[in-house]
Amino acid sequence: MKNELKLSDIPKRNPYQVPDGYFDRLPARVMERTESAQEQAFWLESLWRPLRLAVAPLVLLLVFVAAFFYSVPDKPIINLAGVPDTAIVDYLSTYATLETADFAELHNLQEQELPSEMLNVSPKAAEEELEYYDLNHMEY
Amino acid sequence: MYTCCYLGGKPAAEPANSDYSDVPLEDKDLLEKFAQPESRNMAFNQLVRKYQEKVYWHIRKMVIDHDDADDLTQDVFLKVWKNLENFRQDAQLYTWIYRIATNECLSFLSSKKRKFFLPLHDITAELTEKVEASPDLAGDEVQLKLQKAILQLPDKQRLVFNMKYFEDLKYEEMSEILGTSVGALKASYHIAVKKIEEFLKRD
Repeated sequence: MKNELKLSDIPKRNPYQVPDGYFDRLPARVMERTESAQEQAFWLESLWRPLRLAVAPLVLLLVFVAAFFYSVPDKPIINLAGVPDTAIVDYLSTYATLETADFAELHNLQEQELPSEMLNVSPKAAEEELEYYDLNHMEY
Repeated sequence: MYTCCYLGGKPAAEPANSDYSDVPLEDKDLLEKFAQPESRNMAFNQLVRKYQEKVYWHIRKMVIDHDDADDLTQDVFLKVWKNLENFRQDAQLYTWIYRIATNECLSFLSSKKRKFFLPLHDITAELTEKVEASPDLAGDEVQLKLQKAILQLPDKQRLVFNMKYFEDLKYEEMSEILGTSVGALKASYHIAVKKIEEFLKRD
C-alpha cells in the first residue's frame, strides 16, 4: 500500500449492504409499530377517562376540606395588659376557684404592699372586715 | 443475499410494489394529508418510503451493525409519527427527520458506552471489528482502511464527515440539522479529512 494515499484517490462508495427487499418491507413494519402505538394510546386514553371521572369528585372533596380547614378563624388573642384590673378581679371573683396553691402564693405576697386598686376594697370596708374576724384564734 | 444501496443526497427511488400511489407527494402535501385522519396512514406510509433510505444509511454509517440500524430507523419513524402533528413548518421536513435520526444515533452510542462502562476506544474497537467482519469489504484493503480511519473520529466529527463526504449535504443543511454554525462544520470536516489522511498514511 502506498504511503501517500489521499482521500480523493479513494473511490467513494457505500461499503455496507442490506438484506434483499429490506426497504420494500420496512414501511409495513413501521406502520405495524405505529398501529400498536395507537392501540396503546387508545387503551391509556380509555383507562384514563373513567379514572378522571372518579378522581374529579375526590379532588373536589379534598379542595373543600382544605378550604374549610384553612377558613376556620383562630381563637382571638387577648392582651391582658390591655384589660383593666377591675375586669380581671371581677372575672376571678365570679369564676375562679381558690386552691391551696393560691393561698401559698398569697403567703408570698404578704410582705408586699398591695395597692388598694388591686384589692378593690375601700379602707373603711377593710377595717370592718378585720374587726369581724378574730385573727388570733383562726386555725388553718 | 444482501443488496447495496448508495444514495448520497439524492431522493430515494420509490419501490415498485407499493400499496399506495407511486407518485411521491411533496412534503407540504404529505403534511396536509397527515393532518386528516382518513388519509393519515397513507400519508405516513409515503413519508416512510420517501425518507427510509436516507434515514437508514445515515444511521447505519454511525452504528455499523444492520440490526441496530434497523431498530433505530424504526424508532426514528415512530418518533416522527408521534410528533409530526406538532411539527412547525419553519424547518424543512427532511432536516427535522435527519435531526431526530442524528439524536437517536448519538443517544444510542452514548448509552452503549454507559451500559458497558467502556471508554471511547473500546467502542471504536467494537465497531472496527464489525467493519472487518463485513463481507463487502473483504479483499478491498483501501476501503477497509478508510472505514477504519473514519471510526477513529469522535462521534460528532464522524457524523459531520459522513454527512459531507457520503451524503453530500450542504453545510447550510448540516447546520440546520446539527444546530452548529457553518464555519464550525467546515473546520470540523477539514480536521476530519486531515485525521483520516494521517491514518491512511500509516501502515
